[in-house]
Formats: sequence, structure tokens, C-alpha cells
Amino acid sequence: MAVVRRGRLARNRLYLAGLSPAAFLLALFFVGPALWALGSSFTNRALVGIDAANPRFVGLDNYVRLFGDPDFGRVILNSVIFVIGSAIIGQFVLGLGLALLLDYAQRRGFLASNFVYAAVLLAWVNPTIIAGFLWVAMFDFYNGSLNTGLHVLGVQPINWLGQGPMLAVIIANTWRGAAFTMLIFLGALRTIPTDIYEAARVDGANAYRRFWDHTLPILRPIAALTLLSITMATFGTFILIQTLTNGGPAFQTEVIALYAFHEAFQNHAVGYGSTISVVMLALNLGFAIVFLRWSRARA
Amino acid sequence: MDEVVRQIITRRRFLQLAAASAVVAACSPSAVSTGSSGPGGSTAAGGSAPAGGSGVPPSSGGGVTGTINVSYPDEAGLKPKYVEQAAAAVKAQFSGADVKIDLQKVGDDDFYTKLLLALDSGTGPDVFHVGGSSIGELADASYIEPLDDYVSQWADWSQYPDAVKSGVTYKGSVWAIPYGLDMRWLYYRKDDLQKAGLAADWQPANVQGILDAANAVKNAKESNVLPYALYAGPAGSSGTADHAFVPLLWAYGGELQDSSGKWIGDSPATKKVKAATEKNVGYVLHPTETGGPSFTIGGPGTCWYISSRSANKQGAWEFIKAFNTADIVGKLNAEDPHPVARKDAADVAEFKASKYNVDATAALEKAKFVPPDPGYSKVIEAIQKATARVAAGELGPDDAAKRYTDDLTQALGADKVVSQ
Repeated sequence: MAVVRRGRLARNRLYLAGLSPAAFLLALFFVGPALWALGSSFTNRALVGIDAANPRFVGLDNYVRLFGDPDFGRVILNSVIFVIGSAIIGQFVLGLGLALLLDYAQRRGFLASNFVYAAVLLAWVNPTIIAGFLWVAMFDFYNGSLNTGLHVLGVQPINWLGQGPMLAVIIANTWRGAAFTMLIFLGALRTIPTDIYEAARVDGANAYRRFWDHTLPILRPIAALTLLSITMATFGTFILIQTLTNGGPAFQTEVIALYAFHEAFQNHAVGYGSTISVVMLALNLGFAIVFLRWSRARA
Repeated sequence: MDEVVRQIITRRRFLQLAAASAVVAACSPSAVSTGSSGPGGSTAAGGSAPAGGSGVPPSSGGGVTGTINVSYPDEAGLKPKYVEQAAAAVKAQFSGADVKIDLQKVGDDDFYTKLLLALDSGTGPDVFHVGGSSIGELADASYIEPLDDYVSQWADWSQYPDAVKSGVTYKGSVWAIPYGLDMRWLYYRKDDLQKAGLAADWQPANVQGILDAANAVKNAKESNVLPYALYAGPAGSSGTADHAFVPLLWAYGGELQDSSGKWIGDSPATKKVKAATEKNVGYVLHPTETGGPSFTIGGPGTCWYISSRSANKQGAWEFIKAFNTADIVGKLNAEDPHPVARKDAADVAEFKASKYNVDATAALEKAKFVPPDPGYSKVIEAIQKATARVAAGELGPDDAAKRYTDDLTQALGADKVVSQ
């Protein structure tokens, strides 16, 4: 057995050597901190006060507190609304729509399609923090682009971030993330040979039938993977919301990643903040397992 | 309602957020600490003290050598020249000493988080500059050095009024040296009040007087005027507590702590404050509900501290002394208007030139100081949550006052919270 193992090791030496930098970095920056957070979640570790000088093991106290914390219920609800609004409805549906439109336009050689493509892509290649500030500039009550536009039209200004904060962050995240879905679907659409549509047209299928009977079935496996990956990415959203509302007003946009950060670094309750991030990690692992199962089944 | 909510995203917050991503990247100890174990980082006077030790008696006039690492945040840019002036004075006095200045151009909250992470990992600067309200929680965490032995040999300490000394004293020890005190006023816009038909030298007799004036402004329907701005929620930082909740609480005859030092959760006064937040109306010395004696809310302001893990405590103390001269304290507070922490600084010509400064220093007589208790930051957190819920219309005043009690109990323990 040992001989076989050594043989396999030797055979894969180059492969393992190639893998090790990534594995090392993952261990250092992901597995290590995750284990640290898990350990920390069983303590009352803090950044200030007596608990900072002498952290104690508190068992499952943090978890008991978290599941009885009315704010946490609110945070989970916010996260779900944010994911459904910006990932599933926003990025996914809008991204698919954009991909279909662009594919249609490109197949017919419309020059404008390149500009649309570039515009959508620009939203995506910007660093998140830039996207965040851009939307702060859009939503600002006094000098924001949106209210300036409304003023020109003679409409009263709207307090976007005060009265509809969740909608505002959903719009911003949709704007930013739709490009990813669009790119994936655009790639998939290009793999569909034009003859299929030609044949369908000859058979008398209208545009709706061509989409429903041919385009959609081909996109379905890609769609599932895209949906899962943007759900996971959106669930962990932090920078964009922190820039726009920092979870406010009054917790209305406090999502799970922000709540973990605020408890650990604003309220200095590192143990409790770790507990929140461990729960977040568990939820994301759940998504990842579904994701992996799905992609393996398709492979 | 939206006017209050709108206040939450301030320009200041905007800037702090810009720095936030940098904070995450800069959390490595090297970002804050330039290494207090620099070459020759021991003092000639006391040698290297054990971490968290109760201080090594400094020898006055002893030679200071090695690097002194100074770290402080400043966004406004008023402090650097005085910090550099103090550093130059230390270097001129002690030929073997070097001062490394780490100016962090970030907001106070972000600086504090970075500092705590560095202190928690056993590094950090020798001497640093954060708000006086942190004294209790920093002392309990053994991050800071008690300064009793240092101030006892410092003649200038007699220039500090007892109220100021008490503001930096916790568990019987002095922990930080303040220079500019905090003072909260009720600010109002003369022009907007006049447009609403009120006198330019408006003076409310009681809390109702503030609400009446705010309603008058509101009814005048000037565009872009907020009748009464109150911080609410976590984005207001400690301002939610010090600038809005606490003054109103005191105005309504409430207290933060009872005579035994327990934190008061639900009381008639907390309900009224939350109701005032809800009414969202618009803010001279702060009057009380019944027209009783007016007051200001005071605090030690930003102070200089010495890290308990510093390898050069004597050097750190020399820097603090060099910064807190009557001259620097007077000039800095003339530029960045705050009442001066030491009495002789009020005689500095630049400081005396402003009527506001003289009025503010005189008003200190009426100052109520917030307690330097480590629980205060947790109380601030509970205040933020409670005011946010009311401002957003999520809870009524009664429910919010009850949740305030629940949050305090959760944060501080049931034995430390009472209802009245």
C-alpha cells in the first residue's frame, strides 16, 4: 500500500507542487481564521474591558444569545430580502435579459451593442468601494444625481437612503452585479448554433416559442450554477452596503456580514462577532455543498 | 421622520467609510505600531517594565533614550504642527531620544479599532491619543498605564481643575492627560429661527421651548431646513449618546447611573427622551424640562495615554508633558475651539481672543461629565440601538425604553441595571 502511495505521490509531484502555494494561502487566510473564529465563538473575548484582559470560555452562551437575539432575526430577514431582491430578481433576471438583448443585437451586428456591453462591464470591473461611492453620489438627498434630475422635472426630492434604504442597496448591487450573469449567459448563448433558430423559424415558431423551447433548456444548467454562485456572493455582501448605509437607518439594511463586523469591531465583542461569522460560514457552506453537488452532477 | 433618518449618513461618516476598507487591510500590527521595541527602547530611568505593570516610579530629570512611538488620528489637520513641536522639544531636551510620529488620517472610530487590534496583539505605539470616554474600558483591559506616579512629580498638574482630574480618574488612578475638553451646546441657526419669527437671541426656558421653536421652523416650510437635528442610531457614533440622548435625559431629570453606580434603564425620563426623538423636532446651555438650572455636557475630550506595553514609558511621558504645555494647549484650543483642560492655558493670547472660548471655559462650571466607566461604551451602544428604532418608527417610546433596559441588561448584567 505504502509503495502505491509513494508511487502516486511521485507521479503527482508536479501537480502537488503547483497546488501548494494556493493551498498554503487558503490555509493561511481562510482555514486558519475560520478555525480561530470557531474557537473564539466559545469565549467572551473582547477588544476592551476586563474580557479583553482575561477572556473566558463560555461554552455555547454566544450561540444561545444569538438565537434569542431579536436583532439577529431582523438581520437574517434583511439578508434574505437582499439576496432575493438583488441576486435572484435583480442580477439574475436583469443579467439574463441583458444577455438576450445583447445576443440578439450582436447577431444582427448592431454597433450600439458594443457600447452597452462596455457600459455594463464597467460597472462590474470597478472596485466595489468605487461603485458604493458612485451610488452615494446618486442617492444623496441634497446634491445627488437622482434628486437633481427630479428637481429639473419639478418633482420633490426623495430621501432614497433614508426612506427606502433596502431598495437603494438592492438597486446598487443589481447595477454592479448584473454584468457577471450577463457575461455567463452571453457566453452560453453564443454556443447555441444559429441553425437551431433557423429551423425553428421555418417550422413557424414565434420568438416566444423559440426562447421557451430552445434557448431556455440549453441555458438551464448554466442558470442553476450562476444562481447559486451569485447567491453565495450576495449573501456575503459587505463593502457596498457599508459604504451606502452601513446597515442603517435603524438596522434596515444590516445584513449578516455587517452585523458580524459591527459586533466584533464597533462594539468590540469579538467572541459574539465570531459567533455570527461562524453561523454565516455554516450557511455559506450549505450553499457551497448544494453548488458542488449540482456542478458534479452536470460534469 | 425622514429628516432624522437622513442625518445618519453624514459627510463625516462618508469619509470614515472611505477609510474603512483601508483599515481592514491595515489591521496588521505594523500599520499602527512602528514597533515599540525599537533600538534601545528602554528608559534610562526605569528599565523595561513588565506589561500591565503598575508603573515604574519615574525619576524626574532622568535621561530619556530610544525611540518614542507616538500615534494619533487627525482628519482636520490642526494637531500635526503641535505634535511635531512637542516631538522637537523632547529631542532637544534628550539627545539620545528619537520620536517617531504616526499620523493616521482616519476618523476617530476607525483609529480606535486599529489601535485596539494592535494593543490586543501586544504591539502598538508607546503613546496615543483617543477619547477620554475610553479610560475605563482601556484600563480594565490592562492596555494603559496609570499615570499617578508621573503626575505626582509634575508641577503643572496643579493647573488642572478637580472636575477635569475626576474626568480622567478611574478606580482611584489617573489614566490620561486631557487638553481640550468637550462641551455640548444646543446649537441653533439664527437666520432660520428669524425666518420662523423667533428672536435672534432665542433662549429656550425649558425643553418644550426647544420643541416649540422647532415646530415654528417646521411650519415656516423653508426648503432644506431641518427643524431639529438629533443623532440617532449607531452611525452617529458616540454623538448619538453625548450629543442627543444624554443631554435630553438630563434635561428631563433623568440620570445614566443611580447613586450606587448602577445603570438606569427604563425610567420616566428615558421614555420622554425617546418620545422627543420620535417627535423629530429641532437644538445655548441646554435647558431642562421644568426650566431648572441649565447645563452643558462635558467630558475630558481627547486625551493622551501611555501603553502599558510600552518599552519607553518615561519617553512617552516626556512627550505628553511636552505636548501639554500651557502654550500648546492654549493655541490648539484656539484653533480647534474647546475649553482648555489646564487653567493657565486660558491666558494664552490666541485663546483669549475668542469670546466663544472664554464663554465655553466659564460654562465648565455648569458641566456635567459623563462617567469614565467601562460600561459607558456599552451604554452608548444600547442608546444607539434604542434611538435608531424610534427614529425609524419601528418602536414607540415605551417599547424602546423597555428594549433599552433589555439591551443594557444583556450588555452589563442584570445586577448592574435598574428601572425607575
